[in-house]
Formats: sequence, C-alpha cells, structure tokens
Amino acid sequence: MIEFDIPPFLIYFLGAALILLLGKGKVRKIFLVALAVFGFVCVAQIQPHTGWVFPIFSGIELTFLHADRLSLIMGYIFALAGGGAIIYAISTVKESGQYVCGLLYMGSALGAVFAGDFFTLYIFWEIMAFSSLGLIWYEGSKRARDSGMRYILFHLFGGCALLAGIIIHYTNTGDIAVQSIEPGIGYFLLLIGIGVNAAFIPFHTWLPDSYPKATIAGTIFLSIFTTKTGIYMLARTFSGMEAVAYMGGAMCLYGVIFAILQNDVRKLLSYHIVSQLGYMVAGVGMAGVGMGVMGLDAAAMGTMVEKLALDGAIAHLFNNLLFKTTLFMCMGAVIYRTGKNNLTDMGGLARKMPITMITCVIAALSISGIVGFNGYISKGMVIHAAELKEMHILAFALTLGSVGTLISFIKLTYFAFFAKNEHIEAKEAPLFMLVPMCITAFLCMAIGLYPKLLYWILPFRDAAFHYHAFALGHTLGTVELVLMTVFLFFMLGYFAPHEKITYDIDYLYRKAGRGFIWFCENPLARFAIGLEKVVLRIADSFVTFGKNPIRGIRMVVDTIGVALLKPFVFVYNLVIHPVYRHYERDLEEVKMRPAEEPLERMSIGTGVLLVLLFFALYLIAMLIHGWLA
Amino acid sequence: MDKKVLKGLLIMIACAVLVVSVVFVFVLHSEHSELLEGFLYGAIGVGLFMIMAKILSLIQKEGKQDD
Repeated sequence: MIEFDIPPFLIYFLGAALILLLGKGKVRKIFLVALAVFGFVCVAQIQPHTGWVFPIFSGIELTFLHADRLSLIMGYIFALAGGGAIIYAISTVKESGQYVCGLLYMGSALGAVFAGDFFTLYIFWEIMAFSSLGLIWYEGSKRARDSGMRYILFHLFGGCALLAGIIIHYTNTGDIAVQSIEPGIGYFLLLIGIGVNAAFIPFHTWLPDSYPKATIAGTIFLSIFTTKTGIYMLARTFSGMEAVAYMGGAMCLYGVIFAILQNDVRKLLSYHIVSQLGYMVAGVGMAGVGMGVMGLDAAAMGTMVEKLALDGAIAHLFNNLLFKTTLFMCMGAVIYRTGKNNLTDMGGLARKMPITMITCVIAALSISGIVGFNGYISKGMVIHAAELKEMHILAFALTLGSVGTLISFIKLTYFAFFAKNEHIEAKEAPLFMLVPMCITAFLCMAIGLYPKLLYWILPFRDAAFHYHAFALGHTLGTVELVLMTVFLFFMLGYFAPHEKITYDIDYLYRKAGRGFIWFCENPLARFAIGLEKVVLRIADSFVTFGKNPIRGIRMVVDTIGVALLKPFVFVYNLVIHPVYRHYERDLEEVKMRPAEEPLERMSIGTGVLLVLLFFALYLIAMLIHGWLA
Repeated sequence: MDKKVLKGLLIMIACAVLVVSVVFVFVLHSEHSELLEGFLYGAIGVGLFMIMAKILSLIQKEGKQDD
C-alpha cells in the first residue's frame, strides 16, 4: 500500500490552484469528486508521528505535520465532512473562485489542526479567516458584503489577540510548541483569540450574523471548520479550566434560547452551532489540565472522569459535524429548490422532497439527543462527566439545553416539511446534494446504534469503553424527557415561527461602532485639523527663520514681547481705560456746572451715619495703633 | 371523541405523571426516583424556554428577519 506522508493542507491548496485550469464542465466535476475522496484517503492513512519540520531561525522550527490521536480524529472528520461539502457544492456553485475559497479554507483548517507550533497555527488561522470571507462575499448582496466586513473585523481582532498571546508566550518561555499556557497576559490573550473562533459569549455574534448570508454551499463549509478548529485549539491549550466548562453551559443555553426565536432556517441552525459548541467547551473545561497536549501519551494522566469529559467533547465535535452538516445541507437544498429562507414561508415539503425530509429528520433526531442516534452518545458522555464531577448546575444547564434543542428541531422539521402549504412548489434535491446528505445521515444512525465505531478513534478509548451509553436510567430519562417535550410543544402551540427580529448583543456592538465612527468624524477630525494648522505654522516659522536668521531672531523677540505685554494691554483696555474715561468725562461735566448751584441736602439720618462711620474708623485706627505698640 | 375532551384528557394524564414524578424525586427519594427525572426535566425545560421567549419578545422588532 502506498503511504502519503504529506500534510493534508497541501492536497487542498494544490486542488485550489488546479481547479482554475479545469473550466466549468465535467472535468471539473470529476476532479472535485476525486479530490474529496483522495483527500479523505490521505488523511485516513496518516500515522501518529511528527514530520515536515522546517527550522527558520535559531531555536524556532515550524512543524507542518504533528499527528496524534487528537489531531487525527479532527483530520478524519474534517476530511469527511469537507469532502461531503465539496461534492454538495457541485450542484450549486458555478464560479471557480468559490471553489478556490472553499478548498483554501478546508486546507488551512487541516493545516491548523496538524500544526505542531503556534506560528504555523497562526499562519493557517489567518488564511482560514480570509478564505472563508470569500464564501460570504460570493453571495453578492449588500447584506452579505456588510456581514462579511463584520465577520472579518471580528476575526482580525481574534487573530491579533492570538498573535499577541503567542508572542508573549514565546518571549516568556522560548518555546512555540502547541501546549498548555501559563497564566498571565499571554494566557488571557490566547484565550480571547481562540474564544472568538469558538464563539464564546459575547464574541459569538459574527456566527449567526454571517453564516445565513453566505452562499448555499459556503454555509456548509463555514459550519464545518472555523468553530471546530477553535474547539480543537481550546482542547490543546486550555483543557481543565473550570471557568471554560461553565462558559460551555452558558453557550449551550444562550444559543438554544435564541435559536428557538428564529424564523430564518440557516440563522436557527447557526444559533444551534453556538449551543452545540457549549457541550464541547464544557467537556474541554472538565478535562484534566494539559490533557489535550499529549494526546495518546497522556493515557496515564488525569482521572477516568476527566478522560471521559475530553472524549465527550471530541465525540460531540465529531458527531456535531455529521448532523449539523446534514442539517445545513438539507436546508440548503430546500432554499435551492424553493428560494425561501423563512419557516413562515415553508411547509408541505415532505412529499415533494422526501429524501431531504428523511435525512433532515434523522439529523434533527441526532442533534436532539434521541436514543439510537449519535447525539445521544456524545451529549450523554459530557453530561455524565459533569454529574460525576459533581458540577450539578452545569449538568442541569446541559440537560435543559437538550430540551431546547428538541423544541427548536421539532419546530424546524414540522414547519419546513409537515405544516400545510398548498402553494409551495419544489422538487427533490439534485443527486450531488443527496449523496453527501445520505452518507452523513447514515453515519449519524450507525454511530448512534453502534457507538464503538466512534470509541475506537477517540483520544482516550479506555475511558470511552467504560461509558455505558445505554444504561437503563439514562435511556429511560431521555425517553421521558423527549415524550414530555414533544407533548408540551404540540399541546401549548407556543413556539410557532413569526416574522420578528430578535436583538442579540451585536445590537450593542453596532451602536458602539456607529458611536466610534461619529467620534472619528467629528471631535477627532476637528482636533486633527487644529493640530495640522499648528504644525504648519511651526513649520512655516522654521522656514522663515532659516531664510533670514537675524530677522527671525527679531521676530522671536518681538513675538515674546507682544505675548508678554498683551495681557496688560488687555487689562488696560478692559478696566483702566474705561475707568479713566469715566472720571475724565465726570470732571468735564462738573467743570461745566455753575459754582453757585444749590447744594444737595442730606437727611439727618445720613449725617448721623457719617459721624458714626468716622467714629468707627477712629476707633479701629486706635485699636491697631495699640495692638502694634 | 371530541378533540377538546381528548386534549383535556391528555393534559390531565401529563399532570398526573408530573405529580408522580415530583413525589418520587423530591419526597420519597427512593432508589428508583432518578428513573422519573426525565419528565421533570422536560417540563422544566419547556417552561423555562417559554418564559425566556416571552422576556425576549419584549425586545423584538416587527418586520422580516434580516439585519
């Protein structure tokens, strides 16, 4: 058997370069299918090892292929789901540029996963951000352009935080290997940088803002790579942080609450990405410190519960990519065939798109954690780990998250496929869309019914095999939860879709952004103009001084003289001169009067007052005299 | 059977199930009380999301969902 020991990113980067030469016909289709299959085969046969190491400066080596059990499982699912997205795109994508963006995005995500050092990781991290931006902008509308700008601003912010964290970490330790970080400012910045990609609250807003506005195929690609790379890096560098675990609980509830309120199907699914990421983040937070660094070598590290937590996080990442990709593919097919994005405009599609409906229902059951589907296995692992670690609030939040997920997916499938709508026109999705949807839906069921398929490839398979997914209490509890939720959903009829906009935190960001732009355009611009004038005057003075220094010196002396005396002239003009003028006028007036004019009489009281005043003045004078003596 | 009667009957059954679950989980604390927790989680979850949806509806804006 031929072994390809090459970093997977090279395959997809090369594919992106070649696709420009293949036109738009059958050759391109065959090439894309071959690339999807070949890429997956290449990733599947990589063995755990480190290779492709390039020294760049003394002590710094860039590692492009670091494969252990953790990076390998990420590679498998990225190659599988990405391959599905490539095949799916054949039906909808005409422009070669969009394929270039998709393949660069996929390649860079695999590059980040197999990166052995932080600098290599950063390079791929940024390529990911810009290539995925293309998938949003290719949609072509103004709202896509605006949303793309917000998307890239968020990712540039995250990238800057990541780079600053890496530099500080390197300065402190002299090591750039991907590993756990010591607490400090670098630690905090790295957490922000990774947290932006992992959609930590409140950095999550770029996700539901941009994903629904990308092209149909672009949304599939977007839903696979960026956030999952964030979770992977979180597992590598921040495993075992309790605050991260609780952040997972918050994400789980927050995402699902907003998902329930959505009408746009892709926005609903986007909020569910945030919610499902919550399970993964919680699992990573409950794992042992440094577990993600060592992968297979850490078999002796951490307790069984901590291993189960990390396994649960990675298993949920794997499963989530299967069911979430299926859901985005199904909804993409619905939008492609009907041209409608909102649940209020859909309905009646079950008979017109039966295969799409079946795959969508399978994926909805999987994400809702129904027994016999893959979501049940991985969610159960994370919640069970939380219970064993006695983090009861977290376990409760994650369980409630399951209820919310079920509510929103009953809503999605019911109103998209089963609700009455006699006017809708559609036909079944094209073959290239159906094939990947069916494969991923089949895998959802296969793993759900036979979870050992997944346990074999998890980082700590010993812990995974100790977990009993179908224990009576857990299975029965899940069935009861589902029955009660479904019953209340239909009995109360409270969660029907509506055409309203729900404000998220990005409302505040946009307000703050507008405020910042106003500040730049008004006070800051005026200050800049004023400063420019001052600087120009100073420059003029220097030029004048240089032309004739003697004249210049005299000008300086005169300017100082004028500046010093100007206040006195001002005071003179304002006070002394008016008072002088008053007395002058008064004197003139008095002189004009006749000397024999009648005296003005005073009252006796005024006279007495004057006498008393003089007497008082006399007493004060005597007193001061005596005091001084 | 009339639809309203059926609905009323179903609601009564659900209420009875919930009461039994509450008694087992919070009052009796028996070994098997965890076997009935699923009903309670389902009811609490639906109630919580209804309340949250109601609260968030206060800051919702009329119009098509867009930007």
